[in-house]
Amino acid sequence: MSRQLHLNVNILNAGVFGGSWRFPGTDPLASYTVEHYIAIAKKAEAAKLDAVFLADGPVIEPLVRHRPGNNLEPTTVLARIAGQTERIGLIGTLSSSYNDPVELARRVADLDYLSGGRVGWNVVTTAGAAAARNFGRAEEPEHALRYQRAARFTREVTVLWDERRNLVSAQGRPVVVQAGGSSDGRRLASQVGEVIFSADQDLEHARAFRAEIRSGTREFGRRPEDVVVLPGLSTVLGSTEEEARRRREILDEVLPDAYARRRLAGQLGFSLDGLPDDEPIPRELLVEPDAAGGSQTFYRVVKAIIDRENPTLGQLLRKLSGGGGHRIVVGTPEQIADDIQRWFEAGAADGFNVMPDVLPSGFDDFADHLVPELRRRGLFRREYEEITLRDRLGLDVPGRPRAPYLAAAPAASR
Amino acid sequence: MTTTSIVLDLAVGSRLDLADAYEIATAARDAGVTAIRLLDGAADEVLDPTAVAAYLAGRIPELRWIVEAPTTHNAPYNLARRVLSLDRATAGRSGLALRTGGGDEVSDAVIPDREATAPERRWAEYARVLTGLWESFPAPALLGDQAAGVFADTDLIKPIGHEGSFYRIAGPLDGPSSAQGRPVLVADARDELDWADAATLADVLVVPGEQLQVAAARLAAVLEPVGRRREEVALLGRVDLTGSAFAPWTADELADWATSHALDGFELVIDGNRQEILALLRALGPWTRPAPEATLRTALGLPALVGVPV
Repeated sequence: MSRQLHLNVNILNAGVFGGSWRFPGTDPLASYTVEHYIAIAKKAEAAKLDAVFLADGPVIEPLVRHRPGNNLEPTTVLARIAGQTERIGLIGTLSSSYNDPVELARRVADLDYLSGGRVGWNVVTTAGAAAARNFGRAEEPEHALRYQRAARFTREVTVLWDERRNLVSAQGRPVVVQAGGSSDGRRLASQVGEVIFSADQDLEHARAFRAEIRSGTREFGRRPEDVVVLPGLSTVLGSTEEEARRRREILDEVLPDAYARRRLAGQLGFSLDGLPDDEPIPRELLVEPDAAGGSQTFYRVVKAIIDRENPTLGQLLRKLSGGGGHRIVVGTPEQIADDIQRWFEAGAADGFNVMPDVLPSGFDDFADHLVPELRRRGLFRREYEEITLRDRLGLDVPGRPRAPYLAAAPAASR
Repeated sequence: MTTTSIVLDLAVGSRLDLADAYEIATAARDAGVTAIRLLDGAADEVLDPTAVAAYLAGRIPELRWIVEAPTTHNAPYNLARRVLSLDRATAGRSGLALRTGGGDEVSDAVIPDREATAPERRWAEYARVLTGLWESFPAPALLGDQAAGVFADTDLIKPIGHEGSFYRIAGPLDGPSSAQGRPVLVADARDELDWADAATLADVLVVPGEQLQVAAARLAAVLEPVGRRREEVALLGRVDLTGSAFAPWTADELADWATSHALDGFELVIDGNRQEILALLRALGPWTRPAPEATLRTALGLPALVGVPV
């Protein structure tokens, strides 16, 4: 069978945009109920997606005055979903900086067991001083230290998983997912990541990123095919091009102004107060990404846009639209399928972590219209074949003999 | 309080698998059991109680759950979040039996007072942090005002700024208070607890069999100085039925026993297999079933929390 896409839905509360919760016809408070997550997971299972993905941080969303935040602890939500679904994968984000490795290893493995081998753990280091202050610290640990701990922590957790003899799931151990786009993060990805949730605006850059992660695995005694790279993709779908464009415009109109500026200031690590909307951000304010303190991934993405397009501040705010800095595609199911297919066949992605514009409506459109289009093109499964998440992603089960070496997909060797 | 509460202990894992637990929990619901207490235990033997509760709660939405967790390995912010998430996801049907223990790797690295070790002091500080965090984001703060573009009234959401001997925690929590205000907090008198702390902080006190005779008097004595009324704390007697071929009492006898000892109910423990636990539930006979929509707090006969808007 030809290489197939992997698709996850990132249930980012009300949707990826700052104004998603204000989109006409949307229940603004739905993402503060567990039923929201269960309903989307059931829809994702009906559409045969690989997994649902929950972002998280142990801290209140600083801009909760203007938009919903992640507000339910992921293992609790995923255990609930596990009890009400059969096949959908369950990926939760848990911080390596602010968890005890013994407790995390046990809880995630237990969740994996009770779901029948469907769980992935997204390792994040958690940026920001606000989270640090919930764990006895005044400031976040320095970037490189956070990643040193993440590598050590992930190794310790996987060793604990491998030592487990009882209550072991059918996939052996949970899948390790990792997202960092910084140079520290890329190294961690090559070392321990099995699924990489990346952020990229540009196809060539994404292709180079995927190649770097894959070849980097060899340094750690792993193989390129031990890693599945899934860039984030924000989708704005319409049944016509005009409808999609209009949907995108509405999302700009409902974006709370105060939110967009404060969010970008947070991503860049400096204040935007007093900067006019109709001029570019002064260049001297922008340091090199490796010197940025908070989330280097998003700093890098935003800086790349500035370097490439030199937008005014107002244009930049509209382009990001309060989203996380992930790539936004706007169009009909056919147009977005073209884009997905181009990235996939160019070796820029093994699939996508899909971040619908508005939840649940944007995901309903994705599942009802885009997934069938991908199937027509032979790019996406019609039925689940594998039981566990690990098998579905084509990853090795620790302790199980590896399949004979298969030549990498043509796209990957170009 | 008018009803006698019954809590049934279950340890789900290698001895009692998920399918058994589901069957027992369903029978417990039908028998009118107030709540299932999911016990913690060794990793590899007992599954994490919050995960099991969340899993089963979706399948048996009318039942109530008390999850057990020690202070050990659990940073307070994480445990507070997890249990409040469960409580919100069960429409206010959940509680936490916080057990004494040691610290966790994240908090220990920055412990404010390196000399602080006493488990009962840690328990009290931990319990204060939990209740503070659970009330730090009052549900009415959630507005979702689409027209005005105001999602939450952040003036109502307040950090707790806790600075103690064991922990420093800023808060607030990321999610709003639950349908019952906050999760029910259970103290277990088998732990070395300071009863004055338990009386101040807990909603439920579970006492082991050997303390039953004196428990009510002892609780009354510590409640008065801390300014709480007796009805604000549910006193449950822990009864170990392990090895009994059948329940030694009928429901009526248990109720009489509760009255004579001024208990509000019982926690039933049977370290047995599926058959034995199901037999016990049958032998107990019909119990006064709590209203299906009742929160855990209501089902335990506890008054609404003062000053916690829901």
